[in-house]
Amino acid sequence: MRLPCPFCGDRDASEFVYRGDAAPVRPATSEGFYDYVYLRENPAGPMREHWYHAQGCRNWLVVTRDTRTHEVFGAVLARGAAQ
Amino acid sequence: MAEPLQITARGKVALATVMARKGVDAAAIGASLGLTPPTGPLTAQDETMTLIGVGPGAWLAISEYGQAGWAAMLGGKLAGIASVSDQTSGYIVLRVSGEGAGDLLQKGAFIDLDRTAFGVGAAATTVIAHIGVILWKVDDAPTFDVALFRSFADSFRDWIAASAPGLAAPSSPVR
Repeated sequence: MRLPCPFCGDRDASEFVYRGDAAPVRPATSEGFYDYVYLRENPAGPMREHWYHAQGCRNWLVVTRDTRTHEVFGAVLARGAAQ
Repeated sequence: MAEPLQITARGKVALATVMARKGVDAAAIGASLGLTPPTGPLTAQDETMTLIGVGPGAWLAISEYGQAGWAAMLGGKLAGIASVSDQTSGYIVLRVSGEGAGDLLQKGAFIDLDRTAFGVGAAATTVIAHIGVILWKVDDAPTFDVALFRSFADSFRDWIAASAPGLAAPSSPVR
C-alpha cells in the first residue's frame, strides 16, 4: 500500500506509523474521557485516520482510506485538517 | 560515455537543520538568508549554501566551506523566526555519481528515481536499507548526494558493497 503524503508524494506504507481513527477529539474535562480513549467506531468503508510519516517529512497526516479495500482517497497534513 | 560509478564522502561540509517557527513562511526565511528556501522536496542554492526541503517549514542547509561556527552564524541570521541546529557531526554526506548511480540508489529506495520523475534539483527524505536518508540530485551525470546519520555510515557502505557489484554485470538489467 502506498500513501500520498502531501509533502513527499507517494510513499510506501512502511515509512509510516499508524495511529488510528482521526475522529475522536480530546474532551476539555474528564466528562467523556473514557469514550475518547477507548471507544472506536471501526467502520467498514471510508475512514479518516492518523498516520505519521516517520521516515519522511516527520509530519502527522490525516489519510482517508477504505478499510475494506485499502483504497486511499487522499491525505492532508493533520495540522491543517479541521477535526 | 558516462563516468564510472564513484562513491565518495563529501568532506568539509557544514550542515544544519532549519525549522521555521509557527506562522513563519519560506519567504520570510529567504529574506533573512538571501536565498529563498524551496516549499517542496526540492533544492535551492547560491554560492554560499544549498537548502534542501525535508518537510513543511523544515530544511537541511549545507555549506561547502565547513568553517566552524557556520550553523551558529545561520542561527544568528534567523533569530526569532527559525530554529537552527548544527548537524555537521550528525550527518555524513555521500556523493554517488557516474554510470549506474541512479540504478544503485533505485535498488534501495521505494521511490521513482528515473530522470523523468526525479530530475536535477529534486530531493526526497526516505529510507534505504532501513536507514533514513535525505537524497537529492545534483546534476545529470548523474550525481546524487545522500545524507544520513553518521553512525549508520558503515551499515550504508555495507549495503552499497552488497548492491553495487550486480550493476556491473551487463547481462542483468536492474530495472
